[in-house]
Amino acid sequence: MKTLNKVIATVCASVLAAGTVVAGGHGSVADFYKGKTVELYIGYDPGGGYDTYARLVARHIGKHIPGNPNVVPKNMPGAGSVKLANWLWEAAPKDGTVFGAISRGAPFEPVLGNDKAKFKANKYTWIGSANNEVSVCATMKKNGITNWEQLKTQELTVGGNGSGSDTEQFPKLMNAVLGTKFKVIGPYGGGADIVKAMEAGELGGRCGWSWSSVKATKADLLASGDLVLLMQMSGSKHPELPNVPLVMDLAKTKEERQMLNLIFARQALGRPFLAPPDLPADRAKALQDAFMAMVNDPAFLAEAKKMDLELSPLSGAEVAALVAESYDTPQAVVDRAIAAIR
Amino acid sequence: MELSLLEVAFNALGVMLEPERLMYLGLGTVLGLAIGIMPGIGGVAGLALLLPFTFSLDAYSAFAFMLGLGAVTSTSDTIPAVLFGVPGTSASQATVIDGHSMAKKGEAGRALSAAYAASLIGGLWGALLLGLTIPVLRPIMLNINSPELLAFSIFGLSMVSALSGSMPLRGLAMAGFGVLLAMVGGDPTSGQQRWTFDTLYLYDDLPLLPVALGLFALPELADIAIKRMAISQTTKYNLRDGMMMGLKDVLKNWLLVAKCGSLGAFIGAIPGLGSAVVDWFAYGYAAKTCKGASETFGKGDVRGVIAPESANNAKEGGSLVPTIAFGVPGSASMALLLGGFMIHGLVPGKAMVTTNIEVTYAMVWSIALANILGAGLCFAFSGQFAKIATLRYTLVIPGVICIMMVGAFQASADWGDLFVLLIFGSVGWIMKHMRWPRPPLILGFVLGGIIEDYMRISYQLYEWGWVLRPVCAVMLIAAALSLTQPLLSKVFVKRETLALPRFSSPVFTKGDGFSFAFIAVLVWMIWRSLSWDEEAQGPPQVIAGLTLALVVISLLWAAVTRRYSDGKQGAILDLVADMGELTRPMVNLRALQFLAWLGAFVAVWAIAGILVSALCFVVFYMRVQAGESWRMVTGYSVVILCLIYFVFDQGFHISWPETVLGTWFPVLQAIPTM
Repeated sequence: MKTLNKVIATVCASVLAAGTVVAGGHGSVADFYKGKTVELYIGYDPGGGYDTYARLVARHIGKHIPGNPNVVPKNMPGAGSVKLANWLWEAAPKDGTVFGAISRGAPFEPVLGNDKAKFKANKYTWIGSANNEVSVCATMKKNGITNWEQLKTQELTVGGNGSGSDTEQFPKLMNAVLGTKFKVIGPYGGGADIVKAMEAGELGGRCGWSWSSVKATKADLLASGDLVLLMQMSGSKHPELPNVPLVMDLAKTKEERQMLNLIFARQALGRPFLAPPDLPADRAKALQDAFMAMVNDPAFLAEAKKMDLELSPLSGAEVAALVAESYDTPQAVVDRAIAAIR
Repeated sequence: MELSLLEVAFNALGVMLEPERLMYLGLGTVLGLAIGIMPGIGGVAGLALLLPFTFSLDAYSAFAFMLGLGAVTSTSDTIPAVLFGVPGTSASQATVIDGHSMAKKGEAGRALSAAYAASLIGGLWGALLLGLTIPVLRPIMLNINSPELLAFSIFGLSMVSALSGSMPLRGLAMAGFGVLLAMVGGDPTSGQQRWTFDTLYLYDDLPLLPVALGLFALPELADIAIKRMAISQTTKYNLRDGMMMGLKDVLKNWLLVAKCGSLGAFIGAIPGLGSAVVDWFAYGYAAKTCKGASETFGKGDVRGVIAPESANNAKEGGSLVPTIAFGVPGSASMALLLGGFMIHGLVPGKAMVTTNIEVTYAMVWSIALANILGAGLCFAFSGQFAKIATLRYTLVIPGVICIMMVGAFQASADWGDLFVLLIFGSVGWIMKHMRWPRPPLILGFVLGGIIEDYMRISYQLYEWGWVLRPVCAVMLIAAALSLTQPLLSKVFVKRETLALPRFSSPVFTKGDGFSFAFIAVLVWMIWRSLSWDEEAQGPPQVIAGLTLALVVISLLWAAVTRRYSDGKQGAILDLVADMGELTRPMVNLRALQFLAWLGAFVAVWAIAGILVSALCFVVFYMRVQAGESWRMVTGYSVVILCLIYFVFDQGFHISWPETVLGTWFPVLQAIPTM
């Protein structure tokens, strides 16, 4: 009798344990998210590129997360999304119900000496990036500069959007590393203001201009040949721009390469999404998998195409690797880069 | 060419008159009116939310909807401006001064109807100007570069002289302080943090919305709460007469409407200027040029309503110009609109004024039709709205405060917004009561940032050579004339001799406390700036020094002339506090009480979330202040809570801050916003 009880107890226990294991696997993630609301925080005001990408993701990612939670976009603008990055690091719930969209530059702010950025970006849970933003330097044909070598001897005025902006940092870094003679004028209100000033002849060009945005807004100038592309900036060349020199190829020494990488690595993770650190591993994986499933979903692709949003996604692991690499840059190189972009 | 353009324009009208498109235009218009009424709630959040719904519409319906929404917020924002002295959007700040004064005199209906009519005609006029100038827009815009924009902004700042009444020193000092406030935040070139108290909140500059709401809206609400009476004790005209009167006022002043409409369209076309200053420019212009304005403006002159209202609706047409011609959005809502255009394959640039010109005309028609519809709807309900001015104050304050708090908070979703609101509310109230003009402060604040940026660009490009560019030279001379005009007209036109008053040894009064506090703040600002990067020190210190000098001179001048003066106070172009029979200590006590109410509102919000704090505020305020019946209190609370929950929480997805209770007892987070 006793033995029988023991057997029954054992069986019951194993059934229970098995049940727990099942629940602890995929099932529990779905249970967790079922009926929940996941908040996607955006580090900018409505209207800009980051906001547009993030709202697109918010509309689609829910159906790829187990349990199909409702995903709502919320704006928490401030300090070029450093405010949101801080909040995700310090205060946001770490249970997988909150993730965010920050700028591609924000993860590197602590490395570059911004003491307001109170996080270690290599510890975040990286979910993925929607696009490798290849950026270009461009000028108008009438200015008489047709290739980047000329920039070593000829001054070119380019518009900047204020300290810390790509349009300010990119040309300054190239002046320091490649010996170009960009003169940065600013601060202009936005990228479009720079382009207008360039068209009006007030400025020579714009350095730090998403290729996708060039195509979407200035196709006419490209077609007529009035717009000249001098360089492209990213980790690798854009497939559509095989003949425009890639800035990374122009570095001569290892240190120069490291300096360029520190500033231009961000282009590859152009539209990054991240969750707070120390998420439960299964939920982190669920979000990362959902992101990759979403970027292959025909409905998502169709809407992105309609909105003229370029896609060349990276997985969470790939983004994490890029961020980690820049955190390993030798301090001497970092200091030189900081001095260059100041 | 002429004929074919006309044909194109009328084809475009045909396109817009299709029922489906009209329906979306109407829908956008109604939403825009609703957004305009709620103080602090701008169209941007709503537009961002609704944008995806327009993806599936055809291009014409999509922008009819979006333009409809944007075009009429400055029609309905007049309603709270006139009734409560609370501008519904930043475009109706100037309307408050005379509009609200009219409401206090019992002329709310007349002010509202004049405002709608002016909005309508101004809006149509702006659309017409846009339509006429489309073919030449791009060439003109290509010739307006940074130095020209700088010169326009400087000229705009010279409007301060028109907005300071007979107290030019105080006005200039306030404008200088406004420019200094615009400098708070990161230095645009070196990144040096200026007066940010080491907070991330001020990193991106001080936001306009809570500053403007604090300066203009809170003081009016405070005075309503202090007087403990309905806004208006009397109603001068019956409904129909009041409205007819307003209409006639506008027709009589048709030239003013046309001039201010043109001004509005022009300013709308300058990126960065936009809605926060357009109304002040028009108001200042009217105060300068209208006959007898110096006697009547600020005391309920209907022309003080007509001028800003005709300008702020015309600006929507103008702001389309840089957006469609160059893809340079002048404002956040234009940026969203631009995003919407791109989705429908409309690329801004040359094509929009050549091959796609029919689309552009369709946009012009959308704005025109939305203005007609918006003004019509407002007219229809005008009478009902006007009655609000006669409501008990305990029925007005709770609702307006709740919406305004949410509106101020959603600007950047930060506690900082609420602190700024309360701080500037207190400062604004003191300024109003101490007769320091507020309009120059806001003008300096809005224009300061633009002037600093364009000044840097112009100087980097041309050094001081930019001054000699033809447009710049003309505008700068005009600015100098505008600044000195009050003095010049006294000497040369009216042939008055400038007699110096009799001086005595200085006599200081309690009222000089404000000047001393102001001086202390400026000294502190200069002292702080001494530790900055060297390259970032110059401009802020120059402005701070000049402002300091102005305040000191104004203080000393008042002190040495006080003994022999006739005791008459100078006139300022701003609302003046009229506290009736209340004594000063009583007024101050009640002002502190009101501030305590607001402080408690924010504190409870921090502890338990906005829904709980709104509920507490409504219930306690209505019960404690006036013993409103429980039935009334319950009904009122339900309406307010539903509005906050459904519109702001569920609709706009505002990111509410963490609350104390929610953090300590996570279970309680089941309660929305906690």
